[in-house]
Amino acid sequence: MTSYLLIQALNGLVIGVIYAVIAAGLTVIFSILKIVNFAHGEVYMMGGYFAYFAIGLAGIPPLPAVLVAMAMSFVLSVLVERTLLTPLYSPTTERKGDYGILVTFGISIFLRALALIIYGPYPLRPPSFWPGVVQVGDLIMAWDRVFAGAAGVVMLIALVWFMNRTPWGEALNAVSQSRESAAIVGINDQRFYMLAFGLGGALAGGAGALVGPIYSLSPSMGLMPDTQAFAIVILGGMGSVAGSILAGLLIGVSESMFVALFPDPSRSLTYAQAFSLLILMLVLLIRPTGLFGRAHAAME
Amino acid sequence: MPRWSSAGGCVALAVVALAFPFLVNAYWLSVGVLALFYAIVAASWALLAGYAGQFSFGHMAFVSLGAYTSGLLVTTFGVPVPVGVAAGVVLCAVVGAGIGYVCLRMQGPYLALFTVAFSEVLRIVIVSENEVTGGSGGLEVPAWFDATNDMAVYYLGVTLLVVSMAIMLGLVTSRWGLFFRAIRENEDAAAAAGVKVVRFRILAFAITSCFAGLAGGYYGHYIGILTPDIGSVDQMGLVVAMVVIGGAESLVAAMIGALSLEFLVEALRSYGQWRLVLFGALLLLTMRFARNGLLALAWQPLAKLARRRMQAVEGEAAS
Repeated sequence: MTSYLLIQALNGLVIGVIYAVIAAGLTVIFSILKIVNFAHGEVYMMGGYFAYFAIGLAGIPPLPAVLVAMAMSFVLSVLVERTLLTPLYSPTTERKGDYGILVTFGISIFLRALALIIYGPYPLRPPSFWPGVVQVGDLIMAWDRVFAGAAGVVMLIALVWFMNRTPWGEALNAVSQSRESAAIVGINDQRFYMLAFGLGGALAGGAGALVGPIYSLSPSMGLMPDTQAFAIVILGGMGSVAGSILAGLLIGVSESMFVALFPDPSRSLTYAQAFSLLILMLVLLIRPTGLFGRAHAAME
Repeated sequence: MPRWSSAGGCVALAVVALAFPFLVNAYWLSVGVLALFYAIVAASWALLAGYAGQFSFGHMAFVSLGAYTSGLLVTTFGVPVPVGVAAGVVLCAVVGAGIGYVCLRMQGPYLALFTVAFSEVLRIVIVSENEVTGGSGGLEVPAWFDATNDMAVYYLGVTLLVVSMAIMLGLVTSRWGLFFRAIRENEDAAAAAGVKVVRFRILAFAITSCFAGLAGGYYGHYIGILTPDIGSVDQMGLVVAMVVIGGAESLVAAMIGALSLEFLVEALRSYGQWRLVLFGALLLLTMRFARNGLLALAWQPLAKLARRRMQAVEGEAAS
């Protein structure tokens, strides 16, 4: 029993890292564009398929395929941002918040419907990154999971480094604090909206590519991670990348513990889906600023 | 829009609505029934989101709540169908007021997230508690009338739609409608001007949830088998597309949007899944280029023409 719980905890940790990658992307978008991106889960889904077809059609090996998927998700996100989100920056747009909600919700429906046609409703499973399992004592884990967790950690480290140690990251931070002040010191804010939305999309797409061999791909795979990412982002505090990472790990582990300890095994998997939703609702009710919320990142 | 043309429009709509069952076959009649269902849902969501500015993505959850409440009451306790539907409406009002109350502190996207989560939790509970609700397999519920009489159900739907629209239009043209819009534009300013923000935000949720529950009951006892999919995010997306494409800031536009989109869904049946892509694209284009909806876009030149003619007539009368 204890080894079962330990395996569940390790699985939860891996999933938590993936959640954290998705949620960090959502946070980057939120803190710069000041919108909650309801289409984030669909970019995650598209990333999974991009990797699948990069491996299947272009013959790219699985590892570089993750990078290809991230690049393609970046391009997709930038296209979406340039065509549909520019009214968010225009002073003549009325009620920008409502626009952001409806337009990203519309994008999510559009992408999901498109994916259903292009990829079909049947789950697809890309080839393993690394076949086989690793065994330490009683503990067994697929190499794919180990790899996904490690790659996720690398992505998160790269993101934190990019945000804190590069001029572009500092510029993003400046735009997130005040659009006007950033413009005064000579930052072209339009370029950084593009960068932020593309970066967020690339993270989601990379996460999608990583989970492909573990869970297999389907057009509706973005629905659950989307709500989980929202729960994480709000628990971690809107706009705090470090908060998102911690909250992602927290939710990943507690969710798999919930599945392992739920008294009725026949229902534990369906109710596991409700777990992060309930966390999301509770956090919104009790502590909407999350655990590490920044005051200036509040919604406009 | 000048008054004479909107009165003319009403008469034309009424004639078409009443004559419809005699003009079409059984298949299109059933499409008509579904269109009436979506029209009530869309108009009530337009009232909640377009007028009161509360972007709830949990509206279909109330449809599902109303439908399942009525279905379970009728199948388990054998109450008459109208009583079951009424009970569903009352429950939706209570739960709607509850959701409105707990969401008082939430704005914009937070509210949208909370209501999406509520809607999904309800769907998951319905799927999981399959001993009571039938789960994904569905719950069989009795029909409105003993024989399968689609024409009677259709006219019942027309009646429900007319009554719902009359109540909601009365509401938005009254002082309450003004309060709703004031809260949408700026909550603090509305409160400063003496609008009881708390009361009216809760009321907006309770009232619109009632209509969602009513539509759910109507739908459930027509379709005969309830599945949790009725409360899914994709269904919500369809309703959002209907309202936005019609025009979110007018109940009539939202209703017409729902009626026309439902007929379009069936007319384009041979295109299968492409329809959802088309509606998604149409939703995005409408949001991007015509935020007041396609109907408002079509109305504007007409209204301008009518105004010009009125001015010409008045000019002649003056000279």
